[in-house]
Amino acid sequence: MDFELNEEQQAVMEAVERLMEQQAGPARAIELNAAGHYDRQLHSALDEAGFSDIARDLAVDDKLAGLEAALVVEALARAGAVVSGAARIMVLPAVHAEPVNGPLALCTRAELRERTPVRFGAHAEHLLVLDENNVRLVALGPDDLEPVRTSFGYPMGRVADGNALEADGAGQFLGAEAVQPLRDWWRLSLAVEAVGTMEAALDHTVEYLKQRRQFGRPIGSFQAIQHRLSLCAIALEASRWLAREAAWHGARPEAAAAAAAFALDAADQLFTETHQMSGAIGFTHEFDLHVWSMRLLALRQELDGVGGARRALVQARWGTGAQ
Amino acid sequence: MEFDWSQEDIEHRREIREFLREELPDNWDEISQHGPGGDSQAAFSRLFCGRMAEKGWLTQHWPGEYGGRDCEPWRHSIVGEEMWAVGEPRGSQYMNVNWIGPAIMHFGSEEQKRYHLPRISAGDVLWCQGFSEPEAGSDLAALRTAAEKVGDGEDAKYVINGSKIWTSYCNHADFIFLLVRTDPRSSRTRGISVLLVPMNTPGIEVREIPSVVGERYFHEVFFTDVTVPASVLLGEEHKGWEVVTYALQFERIGAARYARAAVTLDHLAEVARERGLLDDPIIVDRLGEARALCEAARLLVYKVIDLRAKGRPPTADTQLARVLSTHCDNAIGRLALEVFGPESREYASFADTNFRLAMTAGVAVGATEVQLNLIATRFLELPRE
Repeated sequence: MDFELNEEQQAVMEAVERLMEQQAGPARAIELNAAGHYDRQLHSALDEAGFSDIARDLAVDDKLAGLEAALVVEALARAGAVVSGAARIMVLPAVHAEPVNGPLALCTRAELRERTPVRFGAHAEHLLVLDENNVRLVALGPDDLEPVRTSFGYPMGRVADGNALEADGAGQFLGAEAVQPLRDWWRLSLAVEAVGTMEAALDHTVEYLKQRRQFGRPIGSFQAIQHRLSLCAIALEASRWLAREAAWHGARPEAAAAAAAFALDAADQLFTETHQMSGAIGFTHEFDLHVWSMRLLALRQELDGVGGARRALVQARWGTGAQ
Repeated sequence: MEFDWSQEDIEHRREIREFLREELPDNWDEISQHGPGGDSQAAFSRLFCGRMAEKGWLTQHWPGEYGGRDCEPWRHSIVGEEMWAVGEPRGSQYMNVNWIGPAIMHFGSEEQKRYHLPRISAGDVLWCQGFSEPEAGSDLAALRTAAEKVGDGEDAKYVINGSKIWTSYCNHADFIFLLVRTDPRSSRTRGISVLLVPMNTPGIEVREIPSVVGERYFHEVFFTDVTVPASVLLGEEHKGWEVVTYALQFERIGAARYARAAVTLDHLAEVARERGLLDDPIIVDRLGEARALCEAARLLVYKVIDLRAKGRPPTADTQLARVLSTHCDNAIGRLALEVFGPESREYASFADTNFRLAMTAGVAVGATEVQLNLIATRFLELPRE
């Protein structure tokens, strides 16, 4: 049991943080989001620096380096990176032996059939589709995709003819044994992304409330504000350690579900509180909060969100209830 | 960073569980229904802690020179989890080994160490903490109970007058870890001292405060011209605040409340299943929420233990862990009432007992609001007024 980074993890974190400082951050996210673009430059940089396949590269025996992958994804989320990092770095290695090129989107079969907008769906070169009994990896061309305008901080899109794609059986079927790992790692990756995103949103808010003065004193000195920020910090830190422990243990169903259940619930609290405390400026494009806050709501939409995670947790812990 | 238990730790948990199976009597549920302060549990704790001491487990996290085994704090946390999970058969003695003993080691004279530490590690002495007063609750530094020093040298004595309130365990206690004001001209945190006072000293009177929490839970302790030798002073005179700050860092997460809550929750899920309540999406949602909360509290406590295991100074992580443990305890206490429904109307039923013992969590050892203040200034570094 050790809650501090070892030397190797420290080196990974320093390298990824450096890359984020150079190539990501809120200004970059705002610019890309405005144009509906994907950060291809950062995507390539992550590949070149070896972060995209870190789970396999640092694997010990057969155990994927889930924790190291999660730490990288946490850092990407903190920086507001506009890349499909969670899907590629944390989720794909658990179900597929080889990395894939280009952006990767995750969706359920129902989302594909119903043409529901999904994260990175406008840019994905591959789509990983979760069905009850199988997982399918589908290669996509630019003509297959249709961008969807969104309020929620990630580039969204749908497969233009999702129904046909769903029916034609194209792509690679990864088998029934891939279903549970995909569900668990996807769920856990939502928790990890929520952690990095909540952290940046909270840090931004705390800094603002230290500076912003009303009634002759910093807003952050009012106890009515302090207690709520303290509760946000508790929710964030607990989410962080739940997610990291679950990643270390290979996204075991119970641990992954517990992390997602807690973190996605915390995400709502952090969204609500950071916006409420930031006041009117918090809603504007010129104030960076939205880069992270709006994403928190998008994360809560996947895999049935908090309710889905709680059901999965009850199922995993007590063997009953529905997924 | 890694989250595995060592093989030795896994083995130790197994040993402790087996020990509990052997040592807890068939009527343990009855014995423990009033919590660690109840008459039956206090009496049982002397037998039980004696058996733990024989095994060398009661104070295994203490240094060898004080009768411990120099085990890592992780090892002691396993003991704490397993004990709280079954309702704390160590009774109030969990405080002795968690923080009273360590405070005596850190601040005590050689004589105090020689006298108290072997008694604590033998498991046959009960302590209580004399902190809160009628006018000093969350604002502990407002305390007024006075200890006046009279005489010089070896004849020096303290004469104590005042009262303490909300004191748990004092009706059975042999000693009180007493916070007093030794400098009458002082205010706030200066001029406070810690005295280790035998509870059988003439002039001490204990009165139970009847409450909805349960029998023998709260008491008032009155001190009228209680005269003790000056050698009961722990640490430096007037510098007791330092002692109590040190001690409370251990106390705030001393009780593994999340472990108790997790066991209660497992039972609630089982009951819910038997009664067909798992078809109710609201119950399923609440169970999932509660389980995540237990795990979250456990990890924040582990974060603190990790710092302690590395010998790092205490941080506001303790407060984070404390607040979430409190939420966890309260949430599961309330959920028990929902799962059991009208059955919980009966006193000492499963849900009633769990609810009552959980309900004080947010107030004990410093109210949640005080913890939140500390998180705001120390963890988030927000400005004071």
